[in-house]
Amino acid sequence: MDTPTLLAHLQTHDTPLTLPRGGTLRWDDADVHRAAHAAGPEHYALLALAPGALPWQRARVLLQTLAASQAGLDDATRDTLARLARVLTLALPPAHVITVLLALRRLRANHKHTTRAVLRFVLEHPDADALIAARRPALLDCFEHALGKTAARGCARRIDDGDTGSDYLRRRLLRFLAVPAAAPARVQALYAAAAPAPTATGAAGAGAARPLPDEPALTLDTARRQPPTVTATNRGDIAATLVHLYRGGPAEDLYAALGRYVDDAARAFPRFAGTVALVLDASASMRGYGEREWAVLSQAAALRMLLSRVCDRLEVVEVGGDERAPRGATDLATGVLDALAAAPDLVAVVSDGYENRFPGDLARVTATLPRAGVTTPVVFCHALFTAADDLALRRPDPSLPQRGFWHQDDFTALLPWMFAHCPAGRPWLRTALHARLDALDRQAADLTTALAA
Amino acid sequence: MTEMTALDTLVPGPLSLAGHRLGTPQQAGALTMVPISGPDRPGYVPPRTGLKLSRVTGYGRLELRNGAADGVAIVPLHIGYVQDAAQNHALCRSAFLAPGQKLLFEDACCVQQTQGGYLTGRDQWFFVLPGELRARALELRGVHGYAKLWADIAELNQRCGLPRRGHLEQILSRQRPVLTQFQSRLEPQPGQVGALFLIDGRFAGLEICPGPRYFAEMWPALACFAYGVAAWRAEPAPAPAAPYSAATLAELRGALDRDRAARLTGIAARLAAAALDEAADVQEEERYLDLRLSTVTGPHLAGQVVTDGGHAVYASLFAR
Repeated sequence: MDTPTLLAHLQTHDTPLTLPRGGTLRWDDADVHRAAHAAGPEHYALLALAPGALPWQRARVLLQTLAASQAGLDDATRDTLARLARVLTLALPPAHVITVLLALRRLRANHKHTTRAVLRFVLEHPDADALIAARRPALLDCFEHALGKTAARGCARRIDDGDTGSDYLRRRLLRFLAVPAAAPARVQALYAAAAPAPTATGAAGAGAARPLPDEPALTLDTARRQPPTVTATNRGDIAATLVHLYRGGPAEDLYAALGRYVDDAARAFPRFAGTVALVLDASASMRGYGEREWAVLSQAAALRMLLSRVCDRLEVVEVGGDERAPRGATDLATGVLDALAAAPDLVAVVSDGYENRFPGDLARVTATLPRAGVTTPVVFCHALFTAADDLALRRPDPSLPQRGFWHQDDFTALLPWMFAHCPAGRPWLRTALHARLDALDRQAADLTTALAA
Repeated sequence: MTEMTALDTLVPGPLSLAGHRLGTPQQAGALTMVPISGPDRPGYVPPRTGLKLSRVTGYGRLELRNGAADGVAIVPLHIGYVQDAAQNHALCRSAFLAPGQKLLFEDACCVQQTQGGYLTGRDQWFFVLPGELRARALELRGVHGYAKLWADIAELNQRCGLPRRGHLEQILSRQRPVLTQFQSRLEPQPGQVGALFLIDGRFAGLEICPGPRYFAEMWPALACFAYGVAAWRAEPAPAPAAPYSAATLAELRGALDRDRAARLTGIAARLAAAALDEAADVQEEERYLDLRLSTVTGPHLAGQVVTDGGHAVYASLFAR
């Protein structure tokens, strides 16, 4: 499976993993994950960090990564996978992780990296006490699966007898942990007597099950706050500044601010060592009218400015008019042909989707490209007013990979999606996702430090 | 047609469109729009910024005002107003309004059968009657009776799969999200003063305005409502994309160019076949200085035109 298809799968296939009591693990897309893992365990696993990947898909990546053997992998890859597993166990809802750990038990996966990940979740999660209180039997099963029942109970017995650092305990348990001092109390909690039944008044005993914390300890995708009303100027700093420029605002101040905003946005992305040809729809409809005037074009222009900072080479083919004077009809087909003349690694069509000279020409041209010996990928970036736009009449070429954007925050997911379509994008994606992993790993380390304190 | 074609050979004899030229057609679903460029004539008040709805003095009686300090207002043919909690009205004819002048149209028609309340000057959003109603509305100019178009509206609603009622807002308001997209699906050119419209390849209408600003203010009402309604009804299902026979990029570009040239030739042929230059009855209705407002009635088209010394200043002609 190619990267864009896998990425789309991770971002759209939203069904949970389930473990029916006494039944087998229900993992409807296991073949997809096994095949992707086999094709490249590190690339596959890193994609779980791609913006917009769904929690249950990230849980599947965690499951696949922990269930598979690491035989034959070099140390650097093993380190990446270990850090990724740690990050995912902290960044997924705890209930998802517990399902994954129980699935590993059901699959009898007991590699060393599996053991480490399970023990660190059960004993070192920032909410470990609350998790044990809420799901003690399940976590005890996970603990005993990770260590083996005999070793687990041997450790528990020794801890109960006051052992905190014997050779047995170190070899069996503590060597897997980052904060060994926190383990004994939690092992004792795992083996504490079952909670008494609720009293006649309904009050539960001190050890009764409590609600499972549902918030991840780490945030992978920052929740987007949708403004109550979308306007031309609440769609991110770059677009807002452009709208004021287009409206004739004070150019000097606005240009200075624009430079800062674009620099800030570009800093979040690595350099793309390739050429992108951007077919920019600058027709009359991109300008819009009324309260929406300039809204769509300004965000398309913001994308252009960002790409100009990120890409080694950006070729722009404007269709209709130009960015400052959008006008006239939309001829995307000729735009794509002109863009291909630049021999790019990727052609990105940025348009509101209203093709009128003539409708269907873009689809016919892209359908002919393989016959004409062109293998350059073409993607369609749908310029929207809001995420709720009706696109029924705005898909000039349904066969093209397409993704919408309306806010500057959408670029976080849009760029990886775009670059994933071309071979030159693979190292870019790897660099970007590694940077993300490093940042999350640092946050995970801070949590561990806090636990040690 | 891509090289711009003179227009004066396409229209009825009395209407001289010398100086007007056709541009490259655009297409959105079943609707084809051929842009028309032409002179920008000064001294005419645009319909949205200059022409104002004053009030409705009674059902079927609608008053407009030319709010501009100078410039004559040509009331667009079949303009109508929609407001919440008021009975929507449309006009059956065009007219002249001198600067500052008010004019009461006593032959207006109500387009919302069971709604009470009078339109006021608070909201100036206007439409143009859908093409399916225009011939009948033109016939009914001068006829007093606010209910005179209800039966035709009800029939149109039925053809649209909507309840058979004299409520035009069933189309204009409820289908507005789809209809208003024609405003963006087709894109006026800089300097455009008019357009030829075809629906499903057949001539649907010709619109000429005194200048680009006037046309720009008419554009939403024309594209979305006058012609958009019929185009919406005829919206074709998306067709699969058939690849061209081309083994290189250069061949592909050539194939695309040839295909487009063939389609443009086809559109030109359909316009030529529309027989717009057939003899038509031209009846003068109003005068203002040198301007003449006339009603055109031909075998296959009707509408009204404003001429100045024989040259068309404004025209709204539609297939019948």
